[in-house]
Amino acid sequence: MLAQRLAGALGSDAVKTSPEDLSVYAFDAYADGAPPAAVVLPKTTADVCAIVKIARECNEPIVARGAGTGLCGGAVPAAGGIVVSFARMNRILELDAPNRRAHVQPGVINFDLSRHVASSGLFYGPDPSSQRISTIGGNIATNAGGPHCLSYGTTVNHVLALEVVDGEGDVFVTSIDDAGYDLTAALVGSEGTLGIVTGAWVRLLDLPEATRVWVAAFDDMESATEAVSAIVAAGMVPTALEIMDAVITQAVEAAFHAGYPTDAAASLLIESAGFEDDMDGCEAAMRTIVTAYGASSWRSARTQAERDALWAGRKGAAGATGRIAPNYYTQDVCVPRSRLPQALRAVAAAAAENRIVVGNVFHAGDGNLHPLLMYDKRDPKAVAAVVETGNAILQSAVDLGGTISGEHGIGSEKREAMTRIYSAGDLATMARVRDVFDPSRSLNPDKIFPRAIQSPDVPPA
Amino acid sequence: MKDPAHRVEPKTPEELAAVVARCDATERKILILGGNTLTGMGLPPERLDVTLLTTALRGVVANERADLTLAVLAGTPLADLASLLAGQGRFIPFDAPRPQYATVGGTLAAGWLGPRRHLHGRPRDCLLGTTIALADGTLARAGGMVVKNVAGYDMSRLYTGSFGTLGVIVQANFKTLAAPPQTRLFLARLPERTRSRVCAQLAALAIQPAAAFWVEGFRNAIDGEDGVEGRILALLEGSDALLERATRDLRSAIGRAGVPETQVLDVGAREAFERVVDAYVATVGQRSVTYRFYPFAPEAERRARAVRALAQRFELKADTILDVMNGDVVLRVSDANAAALGAKIEIFDDALHEIEPRAQVVASQNAKRASLRVWGEPPEAIEQMRALKRRFDPNRTFNPGRFVGGI
Repeated sequence: MLAQRLAGALGSDAVKTSPEDLSVYAFDAYADGAPPAAVVLPKTTADVCAIVKIARECNEPIVARGAGTGLCGGAVPAAGGIVVSFARMNRILELDAPNRRAHVQPGVINFDLSRHVASSGLFYGPDPSSQRISTIGGNIATNAGGPHCLSYGTTVNHVLALEVVDGEGDVFVTSIDDAGYDLTAALVGSEGTLGIVTGAWVRLLDLPEATRVWVAAFDDMESATEAVSAIVAAGMVPTALEIMDAVITQAVEAAFHAGYPTDAAASLLIESAGFEDDMDGCEAAMRTIVTAYGASSWRSARTQAERDALWAGRKGAAGATGRIAPNYYTQDVCVPRSRLPQALRAVAAAAAENRIVVGNVFHAGDGNLHPLLMYDKRDPKAVAAVVETGNAILQSAVDLGGTISGEHGIGSEKREAMTRIYSAGDLATMARVRDVFDPSRSLNPDKIFPRAIQSPDVPPA
Repeated sequence: MKDPAHRVEPKTPEELAAVVARCDATERKILILGGNTLTGMGLPPERLDVTLLTTALRGVVANERADLTLAVLAGTPLADLASLLAGQGRFIPFDAPRPQYATVGGTLAAGWLGPRRHLHGRPRDCLLGTTIALADGTLARAGGMVVKNVAGYDMSRLYTGSFGTLGVIVQANFKTLAAPPQTRLFLARLPERTRSRVCAQLAALAIQPAAAFWVEGFRNAIDGEDGVEGRILALLEGSDALLERATRDLRSAIGRAGVPETQVLDVGAREAFERVVDAYVATVGQRSVTYRFYPFAPEAERRARAVRALAQRFELKADTILDVMNGDVVLRVSDANAAALGAKIEIFDDALHEIEPRAQVVASQNAKRASLRVWGEPPEAIEQMRALKRRFDPNRTFNPGRFVGGI
């Protein structure tokens, strides 16, 4: 019935209902869930409006989906319903180079956008490690970050205007230049619970004139994190400050031969981008600091190929751990930068207590940790130990004044943990926004909000 | 209207929340007031029973120097915050007028956009968390003290620019930026037929100026003297090495545009820049109205000229600032006295909105202000905005009628 109505509105090639097709949509990079009742692939905004209206009439929930690379179950249906895939809305509609902006459909792949605009001397700032497959729409839903948000900021800083379909199937447009409430900012990071983004104007940045990449090796992790704090405190603004521990660099080198030392307890990847005139001074100042904090070596990537190899290793770090264990779970917490030493000690202690192998690869400049907990999911004891370890890491971040997600999102995974950082009143205030855009809770239900406040506390208008 | 002099100045967030809840329960309307520097933005409240001053909520709650983060109470004046941070080599790019009076909360609530935002971002981009007093007296927190946080909706950005119509910001947490080591200001008078070329040259510089203005008028308020086509001011920030090259590039760009002489200020550059920002909302007694609108940078110069020409057709004196980097136009029209201005401002307002539908009034003490299209054309999502207001402040306790579309 549902599928027939959808096929009637969009054509049968836009609707998938076979069990093998549907099973693909029961996953993201974190969670296995239940398959949806139907998957729809709209081509236009009008299609999305039609889908939402049909879903409302049939009382089915809707989950919008980009590439399914999410790490918290955000795009996985909680209970059946319709998955709206943006695979066919993947066009760059307009590049407005003089005004440094582009109009894109949500299914455009992050990396494709940067590649497309490079010939105009521009690029798109947010660069999550998934950028070669993840979509702008998904990035907007999660307010995705990446190594370079240290200086460029997360996705919200790069979204200028949105076209959105709300929970009733009505389309509206928001812009950060409009008078009135900043609805654009409220929608970015709302994980598809306030509306379905069907188009976006994004800000583009000038490609830097000069880019340098260095790697400093340290004999202990604590010194590396202290060096990061010192670099930032000295007023330097590198474009990335990333740390990997030995577990990770060994896996990365085995997989990619990227150029990291494998015998160092911590490798610090530093990137500075800007003007040639600043680069030598920048390198000297940075090197002085890392040396003062005990760096055992300093390497400068000499060519674009060397820089690219280092970055490919960094961005492929999680995948490279396949050599250590068949599965990994990535925790994502953010702490005040100066608390990194304590946070990393807590990670190590939690992993040791649960006998889990942990590798650390993280956005040190932002205090954003990504411990990778390695395990074999066929072993129920190991799964339980990973859950326990992840939970302990989450709590330690909260105890250190941090947050339960720096950039991956809340999704289904962390919804109950929201009460660790927010009071019932804080969460009820957020829920008021949802009351306005999705009073019936049909857009991506059972995400972000803990069960206790999932239901609307006012009847839909 | 009851006695508008009924002023309350709570000393703690809790006390403020209690005042708000009492007013809400008894249907008394609240005007929220910080430093009274941007009250020329938006409409006057349609009714007001209590003026709620945030100015006693003052001071730093936490200053995490190692993390470059900071939490302050909303009534803290920007200048106090700036001088504290400057001593530590840090800043937050508010760039709001009259910082000695302007408060952190008021500047956020007004959604103030400063001229360095193309380089340093908007104030909202430094905002990590907020505490807000809602109409029912709830003190709700959002965000935190970490630089990356995607736990839940971005409520802090939603409150930024909301004009106090959703609640009263009582605390704000920020990340701070490293202060640029050097600052330099360029001043030049523009001879005939140079303005367009200078603006285009400035916008195209590889090392972007931290701010660049074309100014005409604002004599004595803004440094420099007008040439035939006004004057430019450009602020450079950066390391010594960078400034050296940027200075060369800027000089030759201005020279290419046909401007013979440039004056360079190292001492007093920052103060001269701040005088430009002050001028954005400076009124001439009751005989001026200041508009602001935001075209894209490449069209801004043409549109600034068009509104100047319009003012002149109405025999109004026009003072203009064009923020070349962001494409942001400020037009102040004035007349001989308040009555003369009042006699023609409504027709001028109509004519202006014909060509710039989104122009907003940002400053005026003229009695006719309330009858102008202060917010310009309503945004497309006005119905969603109205619904949000109803959900947050169903009794319209906060700033009723001050915001877009009568919110």
